[in-house]
Amino acid sequence: MTPGTRLPRAVLVTGATGLVGGGVVRRLLESDRDVHVHALVRSPGSAGVLLARSGAEATRITPVIGDVTLPDLGIDSATRGRLSRSVRAVVHAAADTTFSRALADARAVNTAGTGNLLALVAGWNLERFVHVSTAFVAGGHVGAIPESMLSGTAGFVNGYEQSKYEAELLVRASGLPYVIVRPSVIICDDVHGAVTQFNAAHRALRVIHAGLGALMPGSADTPLDLVTAAHVIKGTVALGFASGSIGGSYHLCAGSGAIALGDLLDIAYDIWSRDPCWRRRGILRPALTDLGTYRLFERSVEETGDIRLTTITRSMSHFVPQLALPKRFDSTLADAMLGAAAVPVQSYWGRVVEYLIATRWGSDRSAA
Amino acid sequence: MITRLGTVSGGPGRRLGGVRIVAIDYALPAATATVQELSRRGQLSSDPAVLERFGFDRVHTALAETPYELAVRAGQQVIERAGIDPLEVGLLVHGGPQGPTAFEQAPSTATSSAAHRTTARFLFPGARLQHDLALERAMVIGVDQLACTTLIGALRVARALCLAEDVETALCTCAEFFPADAGREAIWNCTSDAAAAVLLRRDDGPLQIVAAQHVTKGYYWDADARRNEMIAAYFPTARHVIECTLAQAGWSAGDVDWIIPHNVNRRSWDVLRPLCGLAAVPIWDHNIARIGHTLAGDNLINLADALERGDIASGQKLLLFSYGYGAHWTALAVEA
Repeated sequence: MTPGTRLPRAVLVTGATGLVGGGVVRRLLESDRDVHVHALVRSPGSAGVLLARSGAEATRITPVIGDVTLPDLGIDSATRGRLSRSVRAVVHAAADTTFSRALADARAVNTAGTGNLLALVAGWNLERFVHVSTAFVAGGHVGAIPESMLSGTAGFVNGYEQSKYEAELLVRASGLPYVIVRPSVIICDDVHGAVTQFNAAHRALRVIHAGLGALMPGSADTPLDLVTAAHVIKGTVALGFASGSIGGSYHLCAGSGAIALGDLLDIAYDIWSRDPCWRRRGILRPALTDLGTYRLFERSVEETGDIRLTTITRSMSHFVPQLALPKRFDSTLADAMLGAAAVPVQSYWGRVVEYLIATRWGSDRSAA
Repeated sequence: MITRLGTVSGGPGRRLGGVRIVAIDYALPAATATVQELSRRGQLSSDPAVLERFGFDRVHTALAETPYELAVRAGQQVIERAGIDPLEVGLLVHGGPQGPTAFEQAPSTATSSAAHRTTARFLFPGARLQHDLALERAMVIGVDQLACTTLIGALRVARALCLAEDVETALCTCAEFFPADAGREAIWNCTSDAAAAVLLRRDDGPLQIVAAQHVTKGYYWDADARRNEMIAAYFPTARHVIECTLAQAGWSAGDVDWIIPHNVNRRSWDVLRPLCGLAAVPIWDHNIARIGHTLAGDNLINLADALERGDIASGQKLLLFSYGYGAHWTALAVEA
């Protein structure tokens, strides 16, 4: 915890079974013996998993069955009344982070879900509303992205980005004492490189490893902002409850420690090449190109009607255009309040690649 | 169709120069079929409308001709129109089907399997070409397994031997057919039967071969089994080979005046050119609709026609690139 951080006695955490939400629950419980967490989960089964995973700390967790897509999150009146009397802070980590989700579907969870939560807690006398957003609310903007910036004028690459942008607008207009934290792409659990939750970035790397990555937008010096879950979890709790953080938005990003796309591929290829069988295939790095050429390639694949190739390109198309929109997330405010910047990606990226290979992209974790 | 080239002084800065293209010629079967007709015959795997959008209209299909006959025709024409004595030819490099399939009329997929009977497989068309074209002093080498890069492979072999073994004049020929009843499409490309011939000479005249690069990736030897990986590898490897060729020639992308393509689908060139920094370089693509792709040497057929039409000026820098199943990526830098 950073100096000046004070945790309320009762905190409601949404997305409590997710990577960030789950980590926040653990961090809150570790940080203060007096904290009690009300964990929003979607089913009794999920509640059981959460409690089982929490061990001795389970007694300090009260599962709340609910769904952010429903009015009042589908929580019954008695429970709502009990929560409103005790809860003094909310960490909203529930989200649909699937880049390929249609905008309407992404909005249902990320935007309308946030709206439902804000409506529920509007009269709760909250000290904090910590909203876990994404650095990619910056959408199509390029260059340096200040932490204070929220602008949709450059458009968005996918429905996830847009729905999270719209959610931030709701949070900012809520009148609640909000703190917004914006992670970039969570690539691994911590600097040791293990990966608990796989996302589109891991899948893209797998496509490249399989020799199926023909083209990507971007250039060798395109910065890729990746972070560890540990940094995001630590930052969410620390910044969310720090004195003086209310009304601010903070980038939980690699910032100046982002890795260049060319370096990322070089490190991955060096590690993959240790396997003589893989090396003999002579797989070259995907050709990096401008967005227009990439889009033409995508369209051509679609026109051919080839199901396998279309599936591959579609799996990439919902986020790789970001590579043609190079941006540097400024994390000065967050880093100053945390007392340290995120660990530079280059220092642990190789361990992530090694983990992915050793576990065959998570299918055999015992091998790690 | 004959191309005869005048004498123009070559430019400076050649790294591996000294062998030039003297003349190019080709021969096509008389019969043609449109993409729509091929589709109706069941000889395409894709929607014909897609292939038309990708630039194809018509291909030549051999019904009355044999691969060997077309090779002879292309070889005779290139020698006659270049005005050389066949005795000047010290090397013949021939690519194309071996054994009986080289001499059969419109072989079917069923009869082609008989081509590897013990003695029949030694019926070499290259040797017979040497005899029929009266190339009495030419040693003969066959090139094979290079698919659509065969003729460029033949040029590279011939050029190397010209430089290494003091051969003054070399003839490269290539005849490639599909059986009459076989499919005519390979990964969204419609294919013609054809033969092409190129005469090389060791001197400093125009159409110098300035640089040549070739990459083989044996992992993709089974094109059906590794189709998607091979397609994905196409663009990065093509860019690599083209960049290496330009570097060997001492050219930048901006120096290239013309791309002389292989006649694969036009869309693939729209993607490949910007990848190589060649987006602004014109591509001589008139034959994609007229002939389609050939295994026998699209680039040289196109170069012949481009020269014939007067599209290429003396001293212009030409980039020839081709890809062949198997899998081979190859490129030549030629200075007109």
